[in-house]
Order: sequence, then C-alpha cells, then structure tokens
Amino acid sequence: MTSVLDDLRSELGTRLLQVVQKNPRRAYVKLSDADLPAAAKFLLGRGGRLATISGIDTRNGVELLYHFAFAPEHVMVTLKTLLPKPLPRTASLAGWLPAANWSEREIHDLLGVTFADHPDPRRLLLADSWPEGVHPLRRDFKGLPDENRGSAAGAVSPAP
Amino acid sequence: MMKPSLWGLKKSPWVYHVALSPCNNCDIEILDVLTPRFDVERFGVKLVGSPRHADALLVTGSINRHVLPRFVELYRQTAKPCVVFAVGSCALSSSMFRDSYNIVGPLDKVMKEIDPAAIVAYVPGCPPKPEAIIAGVVKALKAL
Repeated sequence: MTSVLDDLRSELGTRLLQVVQKNPRRAYVKLSDADLPAAAKFLLGRGGRLATISGIDTRNGVELLYHFAFAPEHVMVTLKTLLPKPLPRTASLAGWLPAANWSEREIHDLLGVTFADHPDPRRLLLADSWPEGVHPLRRDFKGLPDENRGSAAGAVSPAP
Repeated sequence: MMKPSLWGLKKSPWVYHVALSPCNNCDIEILDVLTPRFDVERFGVKLVGSPRHADALLVTGSINRHVLPRFVELYRQTAKPCVVFAVGSCALSSSMFRDSYNIVGPLDKVMKEIDPAAIVAYVPGCPPKPEAIIAGVVKALKAL
C-alpha cells in the first residue's frame, strides 16, 4: 500500500489535494479533475486496473470516484474529484482506457456529468422514452411527470 | 353455458413465460413447476416458445420503462382470451422497487391501461412456492 501511495506522491507531489488512508489496503486520494488523467495514467502504469467509476451528487457538486485495484498487493486506491454543479464536466478517459467507457456513459445517464471527447456518448441505461437532460440520481430529481410514464393505453384492441 | 373459447382455455392452458426484469427467483420457481418434481405438463400445462401459442402469460418482475413497450407487444400477440398471471410480489405491487424512477406500476394497473377486459390473476410470494403457483393457476381457471 505504502509503496503505491508513495509512488503516486512522488509522481504528482502537491497536486494531490488530500490523501486519506482508511486501512492498510484502502486509500482515497483527492485531486482536481485537471490532474485526474495524469494520476490515472500513472496508476495504470504502476500495475493498477480500473475496477469501476462511481459517482454521487453531493451538496457541493458531483463527486466522481475512480477505483483502481492492484491485484498483487491486494490494494485499492480511489481517486476522487469534485465537479461543480449545475453543469458538471470533465475529460473522458475512455479514449485511452476502454474500461472507463461504459462507466462514463452510465454516469452521464444517471448524474448528468458531461465527459468531453467521449468516443461513444450514447445513452446506456435509461429507457428510450426517457426525456433528454433529466438525470434520476441528481438531488433535484423529483420524479417524472405522469405523461412521461410511457403510457400503454390504447395499444391493444379489446378481447373478443 | 360457457363460451367455447373459455372452455378451450381451461382444458390445457399453454403458458408463455414473460420475465419483465425480474430477479430470476420467480422464474426459477416457475421452472420448478414445469420440471419433473411438480411436472404440471401431466395436466396439459405446457411452456411454449411464442405468445401466439399461449393461453396464459406468466409475468414475473416489476414493470419498468424499458420493458413496458415489449410487454405491450407480447400481450398484443397473445391469442385472446388469455389469462395474465402476476407471479410474485414484484409483478403484484412493484415490491421494494415501487418508488424507483424507472418503475411504471404494478401489473394490474398496467393491464387496465393496455386492455381493460384482460383477465388478471395474482400469485403472491417472494418468490411464490411452486405449490402456490399451481394453486393460483387452478383457482384462476376454476373462476373462469
């Protein structure tokens, strides 16, 4: 653990805003979204694997967490970055990191984060009838109006 | 005097299994009903591969926006009259997913919109036991 974190520290230095080590196998590193691609690239070169990306809508903005797993060391390092609302936007990693592709599409669907230069920014999870620009996991989401429910009325002729 | 179409429906109901985003537990129980231990095929209940051959739809899972148009199309293709069975808590009431952004509603509400004359039967349980599914089908057919 210490070695991965130490290597990351010596690579990025003061660009790491905050390092929290919850236990010997789990660490959280906070950095600005501009520095995130460099840190991700470094962790990949260090033997890490992007396990997944998660996101949460906080009061201060949308927080993205990039979880990197280091199998030989049994270590997880999470890179955290906070994107300001109402239009959270960051660079896409999917161009050079295929593992990020679907995660970023999912986060765009559910949280409304724009990933600049994503190679394939189509909708991933939400239904085809879901309106554009509405993101169900945002704090201000209060449900869709009833007319948007995808009504089935009149679809079938009555039974004889 | 019973309508001939209903009489035919009761004799050996062929079922089509409609899995509308279930967790698969209800589907496993339905498989138990069809496979040797309960073996409802001895009563003429047969799983068919197309809704066009079916007398009854066994619907499992909570209905969400993604599957609703597919389900409407399946129901449209089913020969009428047919019985729609809501199998399991999710189909009955959307269960713990009822407040989710993606849920359209419980099956009976949706069926009322699709076809107000539809025959809907309920088999509660999470998942319902195979015995419960058989009992539900028997009760529904008796009530026709």
